[in-house]
Amino acid sequence: MRYGMVIDIDRCVGCHACVISCKAEWEVPTQYDRNWVHRLGPAQTSHGLSYTYYPGLCNHCETPPCVPVCPVEKVRMTMQDAKTGETKTLEVAATWKDPFNGTVQIDYERCIGCGACRDACPYHARYINTELADDNCLGKADKCTYCMPRVAEGLEPACVQTCLARARIFGDLDDPQSEASQYVEKGAVGLTSPAVQIGPNGLYYGSKKADMELLMKSSAPKEMPQVSTRRAALEAMRLAAKKQMNEVGVLGLAGALIAKTFSSGREEGK
Amino acid sequence: MAMNLTRRNFLKTASIAAASVPLSKVAARAESGVVKTPQVAPGSFKNTKTVVGGVCEMCFWRCQLVGKVRDGRLLKLEGNPKSIDNGVSLCARGNGGVAMLYDPDRLKYPLKNVGKRGEPKWERISWDEALDICGKKLKEIVDKHGAKSLAIFPHGSTARYPMDFFERTVGTPNVSEPSFFQCRGVRDMAYITTLEIAPDEDVDMANAKVIFLVGSHLGENIHVSHIKGYLKGLERGAKLVVLDPRFSAAASKAHIWVPIRPGTDTAMLLAIMNYLIENEKYAVDFVEEHGEGFDEFAEGIKEWTLERAAAECDVPVAQIKQVADLLAENMPNVAIHPGRHVTWYGNDFQRERALACLTGLLGAVGVQGGLVKPKGPKGLKRINWPKAETAGEGDLRRMQDVHHFHPPGCPTELIREAAISGDPYPIKGCVIWGQNMIQTIPGQDRTIKMLEQMDFVLCTDIMPTDITMYADILLPDCSYLEKYDFIKTGTQWDFSDEHQQYIAPRMALVEPGFERKDSIWIVNEIAKRMGYGDKIPVVSQEEMMAQSLEGVGLTLDKIREEGGIHIQPGEDPYGNNEDLLVYFFSEEMDDYDYPAIPTYIPVEPPPAGYMRLLYGRTPLHTFNRSINNPWLIHEAPINPVWVNDKVAVRLGLKHGDTVRLVNQDGVESRTTTTVKVTPGIREDAVYLYHGYGTRNKEMTFSVDKGVDDTSLITKIAIDPESGAHGMRNNFVKLVKVG
Repeated sequence: MRYGMVIDIDRCVGCHACVISCKAEWEVPTQYDRNWVHRLGPAQTSHGLSYTYYPGLCNHCETPPCVPVCPVEKVRMTMQDAKTGETKTLEVAATWKDPFNGTVQIDYERCIGCGACRDACPYHARYINTELADDNCLGKADKCTYCMPRVAEGLEPACVQTCLARARIFGDLDDPQSEASQYVEKGAVGLTSPAVQIGPNGLYYGSKKADMELLMKSSAPKEMPQVSTRRAALEAMRLAAKKQMNEVGVLGLAGALIAKTFSSGREEGK
Repeated sequence: MAMNLTRRNFLKTASIAAASVPLSKVAARAESGVVKTPQVAPGSFKNTKTVVGGVCEMCFWRCQLVGKVRDGRLLKLEGNPKSIDNGVSLCARGNGGVAMLYDPDRLKYPLKNVGKRGEPKWERISWDEALDICGKKLKEIVDKHGAKSLAIFPHGSTARYPMDFFERTVGTPNVSEPSFFQCRGVRDMAYITTLEIAPDEDVDMANAKVIFLVGSHLGENIHVSHIKGYLKGLERGAKLVVLDPRFSAAASKAHIWVPIRPGTDTAMLLAIMNYLIENEKYAVDFVEEHGEGFDEFAEGIKEWTLERAAAECDVPVAQIKQVADLLAENMPNVAIHPGRHVTWYGNDFQRERALACLTGLLGAVGVQGGLVKPKGPKGLKRINWPKAETAGEGDLRRMQDVHHFHPPGCPTELIREAAISGDPYPIKGCVIWGQNMIQTIPGQDRTIKMLEQMDFVLCTDIMPTDITMYADILLPDCSYLEKYDFIKTGTQWDFSDEHQQYIAPRMALVEPGFERKDSIWIVNEIAKRMGYGDKIPVVSQEEMMAQSLEGVGLTLDKIREEGGIHIQPGEDPYGNNEDLLVYFFSEEMDDYDYPAIPTYIPVEPPPAGYMRLLYGRTPLHTFNRSINNPWLIHEAPINPVWVNDKVAVRLGLKHGDTVRLVNQDGVESRTTTTVKVTPGIREDAVYLYHGYGTRNKEMTFSVDKGVDDTSLITKIAIDPESGAHGMRNNFVKLVKVG
């Protein structure tokens, strides 16, 4: 199964309800957005005037560049297929791609808010909520989850439910019968460019060449961002060291020794 | 205890997984003691109660809502799944209702202005004191100068009860609603004069073969079920024709976009009709059966050849002909949209008459795709204040014998003029309820002059706005999410679906916050203090709803059990043209010396160096009403001014430049905005979203953001038939800042 979101820009009227419903659903702070609508044009294209929209969100890419840059130490995580109950255990950092449904998710507990994943995303789909900064982190990364907790309850993603135009089609791109897959047949495409080919599962369909030209030209990223993984790794180490220092301060030397023991045993542990 | 606060987090994240070390000994503390549990929102569906019965009023379409409430706090609004109108969908503003509800800038307590009007200093007072002042002051004014010395400016469902009280029981004729005199009253009166039908926006777009929009920017102007019908029509293959000087959201979906010269739409409509008549491409039998004065009409518009209109409208002959032929080929299933905000040039009655005549000429009434009035539920009881015998005395319009085709109430300009001049009588008390007159009514200096000479100004609203700065007493109203004050009725939006009707009484989704009170309570308390206690029709909002619903054998409890909306079988809205008459020539208008056939009245062109100021909607705001909503203003923080790309080159303006706008009278915008350079607007016009440029500092999220278009509308036009304002006769130039 591979979840995807098709946006039919023929139908979209640019009302921005998707953005606001997401804010309410996930209590996203006002200054951040898990999704967005950019109003494009009116602008001239080689097919005439266009005035259209780029309703954007995390593309839950096939090769998500945000995942490998996460410097947080990996842990074993057991994931389950919601349908079959099948499980898989993977070693993941604080963000990963779900092996069963293809979505990219974040562990808010372990995220250190270093911003590497945000910087790695050519679609600018992630933000760091710095309001959540504390002694262990600089904030928390956040982004669209494809509303997996809602989907698990049999609900549509919030943005899909509220869309008056039914312009957002959410479904399984691996299922040829799904409406989303049929849009792919009809020509729905991701916002890709020669340098950015990371398999976005957010796709766009428009029957007007002018609209698609404007959308691709204005909104498909032209290059992959360069991320300093070194800086992120250093940040992770700095935070860990700082924490250890604090803990050592309180526990005293004996405590530190115990801590060291536990620390080295952790890989096999939990 | 700091320990408790950080314990869970510590255990989960500490690299020393000291599970076996007694916690009391692992007194691990971060350096500042701040280790937060990540705020992972569980989602609006987890551990919430779904409260039914909401009826939106972020705008006036009034979609039906449910609220997701956790521990008394509203987290989210959704379309009511039972709705046959908006369904589970809401627009951005509807979704944003939550942020309105908890906007920290909202009015919370009764306030008394101990400063000046316009430069208020607020003192919090008790409800008793506030109501005593209101009752005393208003009564003094009525005792001294008569009921007519009160001017009432209401808006929205909150204002109906107070409006009725002041108009009917106290008896002032000086009531002016912006929905009539600055918006759609002209349309309704022109259609009633022509077709005897109040059209609202009841065109059956879902089943139309052609959708014809004159300036309507659907998509930027969003009303959920209306847009659903529009999109359904397009999906079913309707051809869309849009007349607009701007490449609007609707124009971008159009098959034919006519970038018409602003102010000339009537000329084009007349030419289309003349062409259809001359070529016998109109609904001949329909016109024969229902038309009145058709020959005079046909004769009277003969001068409007395609060529003449082409020159006037700056549109090619071939395009006008193409539009006319498209309409003829698809008649009668054509949706000639009557528009909504139509107070443009002060000649708008004639344009709306032309649209109604075109509808008649194509036989597009009561048929699929045409002008079709839905058949909604009947029998709700209208609760009302008793009408005093003296009600209506001193009607300024009647005294001056003008604006004979006015919508209900008094044309705003007549009230303002009388108040400023004191002629023919003094107007000394002002009640403003749910309306921001500063951004609604052009000629802000005159509104302020009017208010300055008042003995007493009362404002009731949910928010501080630019007008509340002029109040003596400012009362905090409950919002639509905190009260019971309106019953929304209607039918399913697609007439090709099973015919159904609905009754959706507005029910509070949450308790009112702070000291906010609903308008029924407030008005009753003022009425008692003015000596009208014995006239009070209902003691509470709940009683008003109960009495209203009695008429259809329903109760709030029953409807709540049914999911907040009562659904019942409906009726086929098509047909029923037996009594229909189309007044192509209106004898009634002739009697009052108005042009009796639709007539084009040219407007002044822009002076050299200026461009016409056009304004419209952003889908994120309902004018200034929603501008301070934190979520919505974050999405659309300013209103960039649209400038044609060629003009921009000539003026040396670049996309993103900061500018001030200066109008033909030398009036400068108080604030600045940025330039949006686009080929999608004519060279002779600029465009702004309406509702920005708030000056009230109490609106902390929106103050000084963008430019207030209304502040630049200083040249005032009045539509002679209706008395409504025309607001697109002002011209601006752009002055680069910095």
